[in-house]
Order: sequence, then structure tokens, then C-alpha cells
Amino acid sequence: MRTISWRRVAWTVAAFAAVGVSAGTTGSEALGTEWSALQAQQPPPPGRPSAQERADVLRLPPEDEPAGRHAFYWTRAVYSGSRGGWWGRGRPAWATDFPKGDRQFLVVLQRLVQLDAYDFENAVRLDDPELRRFPLVYAVEVGHMNLTDEEIRGLRGFLEAGGMLLVDDFWGGREWAQFEYNMARVLPNRPIVEIPPDHPLFSAHYQIDEIKQVPARGRGIRGRPTWERPDAQTPHVRGIFDEEGRLMVVINFNTDLGDAWEWAEDPYYPLEYSTFAYELGANMIVYGMSH
Amino acid sequence: MDALFEFLFKYRPLVFEQGEFALGAPGSLRVGLLAAGIVGAIAVATYTLARADSSAGERTAMAGLRVALLAVLLFCLLRPTLVLSTVVPQQNFLGILVDDSRSMQLADQDGVTRGEFVREAFDPETSQLLRELGERFTLRFFRFASDASRLEGPEELTFEGTHTDLGSALDVAREELSGVPLSGLVLLSDGADNTDRPVTESLVPLQASGVPVFTVGLGEERVEPDIELGRVELPRAVLEGSSLMVDVVVTQTGFGRATVPVIIEDDRQILAEEEVTLGPDGEPVVTRMAFQLDVTGPRRVRFRIPPQEGERVQENNARDVWIEVQGNREKILYLEGEPRFEVKFTRRAVADDENLQVVTLLRTAENKFYRMSVDDPEELAGGFPRTRAELFQYRALILGSVEASFFTQDQLQMIADFVSERGGGLLMLGGRSSFAEGGWDGTAVAEVLPVVLQDAPVTRPGQEGAAFLTELDVSPTPAGQAHAALQLGEDYEDPVARWEWLPPLTGVNRITEVKPGATALLTGALPDGGEPQVVLAHQRYGRGKALAFTAQDSWTWQMHADVPVDDNSHETFWRQILRWLVDGVPEAVSVTVDREQVESGQAVGLVATVGDSTYLEVNDARVEARITRPTGLVDTLPLEWTVERDGEYRADVVPLEEGDYEVEVVALRGDEELGRDVTYLHTAPSDDEYFGAGRRTALLQRIADETEGRYYSPSTLSSLPDDISVTGAGVTLTEERDLWDMPALFLLMITLMGAEWGFRRLRGMA
Repeated sequence: MRTISWRRVAWTVAAFAAVGVSAGTTGSEALGTEWSALQAQQPPPPGRPSAQERADVLRLPPEDEPAGRHAFYWTRAVYSGSRGGWWGRGRPAWATDFPKGDRQFLVVLQRLVQLDAYDFENAVRLDDPELRRFPLVYAVEVGHMNLTDEEIRGLRGFLEAGGMLLVDDFWGGREWAQFEYNMARVLPNRPIVEIPPDHPLFSAHYQIDEIKQVPARGRGIRGRPTWERPDAQTPHVRGIFDEEGRLMVVINFNTDLGDAWEWAEDPYYPLEYSTFAYELGANMIVYGMSH
Repeated sequence: MDALFEFLFKYRPLVFEQGEFALGAPGSLRVGLLAAGIVGAIAVATYTLARADSSAGERTAMAGLRVALLAVLLFCLLRPTLVLSTVVPQQNFLGILVDDSRSMQLADQDGVTRGEFVREAFDPETSQLLRELGERFTLRFFRFASDASRLEGPEELTFEGTHTDLGSALDVAREELSGVPLSGLVLLSDGADNTDRPVTESLVPLQASGVPVFTVGLGEERVEPDIELGRVELPRAVLEGSSLMVDVVVTQTGFGRATVPVIIEDDRQILAEEEVTLGPDGEPVVTRMAFQLDVTGPRRVRFRIPPQEGERVQENNARDVWIEVQGNREKILYLEGEPRFEVKFTRRAVADDENLQVVTLLRTAENKFYRMSVDDPEELAGGFPRTRAELFQYRALILGSVEASFFTQDQLQMIADFVSERGGGLLMLGGRSSFAEGGWDGTAVAEVLPVVLQDAPVTRPGQEGAAFLTELDVSPTPAGQAHAALQLGEDYEDPVARWEWLPPLTGVNRITEVKPGATALLTGALPDGGEPQVVLAHQRYGRGKALAFTAQDSWTWQMHADVPVDDNSHETFWRQILRWLVDGVPEAVSVTVDREQVESGQAVGLVATVGDSTYLEVNDARVEARITRPTGLVDTLPLEWTVERDGEYRADVVPLEEGDYEVEVVALRGDEELGRDVTYLHTAPSDDEYFGAGRRTALLQRIADETEGRYYSPSTLSSLPDDISVTGAGVTLTEERDLWDMPALFLLMITLMGAEWGFRRLRGMA
């Protein structure tokens, strides 16, 4: 059995306080308590949803919670994936870290940013017309995406109308190729470029001078290399810009912000990464809602 | 009719109106009564005592006729007279004022022009009228158009004047003849006065000095067939690329309900064109047209209808309006209390507009702001401005979802002053921290807002998010349909169609009422059929204006799945609203001219308002106008403080060259320049005379009535000398005119005698 270093706990608490998480409550224990409380509330985890459930049940807010009640709904893109649309551990690729990561992120985000956000997850299919009611959409494990023609059209309309797609948690050349192929279908002739370090994305809320590679939970805890594949050693924040120079897609490649958000309360997960992940996450939200 | 009256009663009705009746025989009343009694008794006795074969009724009738005949005879013997006060020949002056304006060139006076009629009527060689007037009065001729002056004779008339100012003509003639006995003024005109000054002001001194004005109306009341374009109102200055909406009024006579094109053009191109179906004779039709001006600088916009076949007056088919198209980049400060998609999409909507700079201060956390579109790192570095100078550099302020308690009391008052004193535009957007929900009720800013803040609903325990939330199906009010800022589509004839098509928005602020004096432009129908919500309203407040947009997510008009990606409704809405918000916002130093277009030689007033960087009026400034003539020469002209109003300076300028003048006003206090502003002035001959060129009988009639003169048409002009003789002022004498020899009395006697004879014949008594 592994023993917990008290020095490490103290360091974690102090670090959380530094990023503004501990207003009123302190540290990872408090965050964990909140998470438990949230988990006890509705709605329940989706488990293994059917396609119909993905369309009808997962999309939030529920009927008694009309969109418009809140300024912001953290919205996760539901897309068709390769391998029949399902990936590992019986969950679809889009649902990685869902919904705990989403809820956890919202808890902290609302402490870091003055934001009227809905407290729960909100998953919407890319071919659902309702997608455009949520102009900021988050997609993970996009190295496994295999979009249908309807999803291509839906995502293209969403982006061209002014929506923004945040992409996270995919690694290495093979997954990049899969994502790049799909994005080329969505936005032909729109190149993917490195977002320059002086871009407002890196200063909208926190000043970010260095792009860190955020490891998945296991690697972060075990202290292994932060990369998941040998060809994924360098993290990137890339983007697709429209003809006016406005950012349409933010691509966090060779990094896993979502795991850092989800497991920030774990005292063994290095705070350096979760802090960075929250900082970049807050910046993406502030930037995405103002540019 | 007057001629028949004069034949029967010897004199015209006017003579009877002016005179007093009297009996000229000595002791006439008593003698008359006695004689009447005797004559009547004898006549009655003669018939009563007669032994003829007649009934009592017949005798009574014949007695009556005989008594009447004798009474008329007796009336004549009493020598009835009319006592008149008549002017002494050659002892009085008569002013003759002739309209010398262009409208006198219209040939609608019995086939000749109005001017030619005047020349003939006063031809020194042939005119009977002139001779008769000259025998009785010393004549003084005046010509008038935009000004008035002495005239030696009618041959000096040119009929080239470009305005008609009846009031100043009467003033000049009265003043010139003030030291002499004046019988009256004769005003020959079509009455088409086109000045802004009411003519009544000039009638009061004439009434006081008892000088009658005899008006002679020339021309026809309706010049037909004709099409006339009404006056067109445009703002003095607009931002480059702004949409302008204008009501064009077209009136026709004699063309029936034809369809004609209305064209809007500048010096370079046709800006808009529309077919208009004309209304019935004399009834104006209004057509709404929209256009854009994309080239900066002073532009002349011409509205015109091509001349129609047979049209009598073609000059009134076009109107020129000068407008300054500004290429400024207007700074708007947008304060948003929290990240919302409204920030993103509103900024995107106007991002392409080079004339708008939306400087955004977004609060992202407590005391933490994200600044966008600032000019330099120092701008707004301390958050929302704390000084007037810092805030007043912006031309408009948008308050997003931010609570009133965010501001200090001084800042709230400063925002109110920003509108009322600086003249800036204020727009409050709907949101969970806006209006009453944001605690704004009772603040200085609430006074400025055009809507009534209702009590905010209380959030129930356990309830999350906004306490009040409704869907708003937005549509324009009648005022909104007519407002240029709310025209979203190309089809300006149907301004509602595009609105009906847009998806509904949501609102979290319950607002159903605008303040008195405010105007609702957009309303939102509630799904449950409740009282509609005010979505957009505006009002003037002090020098500025305030708008309230109560929906919280106009970005839905951009992002909704039913809205095509290439639809520009959302962009157009915000672009036009924000341009309207900054439209007409004054600078600290600004200059205006009281008329943009004048004729050379016509004085124009320059008015400058001068304030410091906080827009407090400055009365000790040195203000100078640098006037660049069309030929490039530059004149300088100092402006003086008017004293009546703080910060207002004035000077008159008289442009003598035809063309475009640039007027730049610079205000200095000591060595510090307070500011400068430029305006433009254009000199050209005016076509005003051709608008409303029909004879205005009512005005001429009123001038005559109010001064106790008379109104004449050309056909009744010949009686003018006689009429003035008995109605005029000046040196007069009392004259008695006999009435006993009126043909009417003689005819009456013959009639009575004939009636008696006829009655006898009828009854067999003769």
C-alpha cells in the first residue's frame, strides 16, 4: 500500500489556492467532496448509450431547464468514431472522461472565471441542429473520429456560422492523420497551423508562456513520461483560422487537458499539469466567448 | 356683379362700406316725417273715399303701391348722401411692390407670364391703371425677391430672384415711406413665399400705423400638369457606409395616377431608384427609399424625377441635399460584466466596419478584466474609467450584463452625464445583471434609460440561474418599421417580413413599459400570450440618446440552425444600431452653419459650441473660423461668445463665390487647443422658387384682411385707384356724395307706378 506524503498534500493545497480554486473551501479534499455531492445529483452517468439515447437523452439541458437560463453550457461533441464508433472500456471515443471531467471542469471553471455556467454536462451530436445553440463545443479523442456526411455538414455550418471547436486528448501521427482527414472534409482548404505564442488565446485570462504536455492520469501519477507514444513527445496548440483571421478550431495535440481537469483532486496527480490545464481551459473559454 | 351694383347704385359696394349714410335736406327728419304722414293720409283717403266698383282689398293694395311711390319720392327729396373720407389727390404716396422672383416667369397669366402681365399693367406708355394711380398718388415702386429695393420703373424688373420674402418686402417699403403720408401699399405677387419667417411679423407694424396693403394675386393656384418633389430631410453628417432611409414625397396635378421613377444619385452614380405610383391631384404620396454613401467628404445627393411630357414646371422635379460623409473611426466602450456569447457575436458583427471601434472591457473575474481593441496598453488599464475625461473620449457606451453595484456613485453619475452633457449614446443590453435585475433601479443611470424598470423577480430557493426567463418573438413596432437602423433586408417596402423570419430570442429582464417620451422600436411576443416585452427602445436624454435592448442573446440570429450561414441579419442589425448610437454625437468643439446651401451674397450664421475635454462649456476661448473659398483662398473670421448661452460662439459669413466652402473652426484657450471641427457650405443659385409656385391666394387675402386693405385678381385690378381713394390712409378730406340720383331709385319708382297701372288693368279699373 502506498503511503501519502504529507508534504505533497500540503503542496497540493497551496497550489490549488494559487490558481484560485480554494475560495471558501480548501484543497483537493473539498473539491472531492463537491464532486461527490454533484455526482449524487442528477443526471446519472450515461453508461452505454444507444444512438437514440445519444441523440435524445444525453443532450442537455433537460426539458425543464431551457437553454437561455445560463450564459454558458459546457458542451461536448458527440461524433461517430472509428471501430464502429466505440472505443475502449465499452465507451465511445467522444465520451472519454464523460461526464466527470465535464462536471469537475465546470466546478473549478466557475471559481476561476466569473461565469454563469450550467453545472452539468451537455453532450450534443454534431449532426444535431441544436448544436448551433451552443457556440463553444469540446471534442476529445478526435484521433478516433470518423464523421458521417451529416456530421461533416453540421460541424461545417456550426464553424462557419461562428462556433468554435476545442479539441483535446489525441496523440501521435496516426491519430493526427485521422483528425486531419476529418477536418479536411469539414473545412477543405483551411490549413491547420500552430497558434503563435503571442496570440490572445494565451493571455485572455491567464498569461501562458509555455505549452506544457499534460499527461493522462496514470502517467501523471506514476511519473512516467508524459507522452503516450514515442511520436507524441511534443505538445502543440494548433488552430484553424477563418478568412478574417479568427480562430475557429483550437487543437490541443499530444496532450490531455481533460484528464487533468478530471483528476485534479487526486493528490498524486501533479498539480503543475492540472494548474496548466485549468489555466489554458479558462483562457479557451474566455477567448471563445469574446472573439 | 360689381358692375351691375355700380350701375344701379352709382357707386361700388366698397364705397358704401367705407361711407356713412346721411340725409342732406335741412331739418330733414322732422320735415320728412310730417310730409310722409300727410302724403300717406291723402293717398289712403283718396282710395278709401273713392266710389269705384272695387273691393276693400283691391283698394288697400293700390293705396299701398301709391304710398310706396310717394315714399321713394320723398326719400329723394330728403337728399340722401354718402359721407366719405377720401384721400386728397397728389397729397399722398402709394408704394407699389412687385415680385421680382423667378416664379414670375411662369406663363400662367392668361397666356403670358406673370411678369409680363405686371410689365403691361404698369407700362408708362399705355397703362390706364398707372395713369389713374399717378393722377391721385405719388407712386414709389419697389422690387422684391429674397431682398427688397427701390425701383425707378417696371422696366428694371428682371424676374430672376431666387427666393420670395414677402415680409421683408413689406418691411423695406414701410421703412422707406415712413416719413411721408402713405395711403397704402400695393403688393403684386404670386404669394409663393419660401422663407422660414412668418409674414405676420411684418403685418403688425403696418396695422399699428394704419397702412392698408392691397394685394394682387398673380398666376394660377394650381400649375398643371406638374409633378413636384417635396422637401427631403437628411442628417447633416453620416458615417461612411451607413444606410440612410428617406421619405420622398411626390405630388402631382394633371397627370392622373401615372407611375414615374424616383432616382437618388450623387455626382458619381445612381444610389437608388424606385417606381412610384402618383396619387390623386394635389394629394402627396410618400415612398420610402434607402441608400448608402460610401465615399467620404461633402456629397451632394440629388433626388429627381425625370421631366414628364407636357410638364409645366420641370425645375421642381429635383431636390439637392448636401451631406457630409465621415470616415472617422468612432470609439465605443463596451463594458461586459461576465463572459457571454453576446460579447463575441456583437463584436464579430461590427468587426468589418472600419468606422466602428468597439473597445471592450470584459470582466472575467473579480477585479480582473480582459481588454479588447484598445489603442494602447494604458487604455482602460485601471478598469472602467474613473474620470470624465477618460470616459468622455468615447462616443458611446454599451453596458452589458453588469450590476449597478460594480460602479461607484460618482461613476454612475458620470455615465448619466456622459449622455446628458457629453451627448454620447448609451445602450444597455439585457442580461442577468442588467436593468432591475442588476440593481439599476433608483440609480442616476436608470433616469437615462428609456424603459421603466420593473421589480426584479426574486429567485426561489434552490432555483438556479435567472428567475425570469421568456422566449421573445421579436417584431418591429410601426416606429421601428420606419427606422433606418432596423431595416434588415433589401425589401424596404416590407420591413416586417425579415423580422418574422428571424428565430426568437430570450430575455431575463421583465420590461413591458417605456418612459413617457421614449419610443419602443422592437417588441417581443411571449409564448404564453402575456403582455409583450419591450425589446428595443430609445429616447433623447439631454444632448445624447439612450437605448435599451432587453434580449440577452441576439447572437441566436447568427447561430440558430434555421439561419443560413451567409445570412447577414445579425451583422446588419448591430452595425446599424451601433452606427445609430454614435450618430450625431458631438465633439467637444463643433461647428454648424444655419443653412448648408445658400446663394452667393446671402449671409450664413456660423455657430460653434466649445467645451473642454470634459465637455464643460468654455466661454473664454479664442475661436476662429478658417474659411477656404472655392478658389482656394483662405479667410479667417473670429467668432464671438454669444453671452446668451454658455460655450456658444457665433459669426456671420457672406460667401460671394459660387461653389463649395470648407469652414474649419479652431478653439484655443491660451496656447492649449481645445479642439477643431469642419463643416461645409455650398453656394449655388436656388430652385426654391419653382417649388410651391402656384398662387397662394389665402396668404395674400390674409395680408389684405389683416391690414384692412383688399385682395384683387388681375380682372378686378382696374378698380384699384378708386378703391384706394376711399379706403386709403394718409391726407384725407370728407366728401359727400349724392345718392338721390341713383338709377335704382328711379327704377323703383317706375316699377311702383307700373305695378299700380298693371293692377288697375287687371281689375278692369283702367
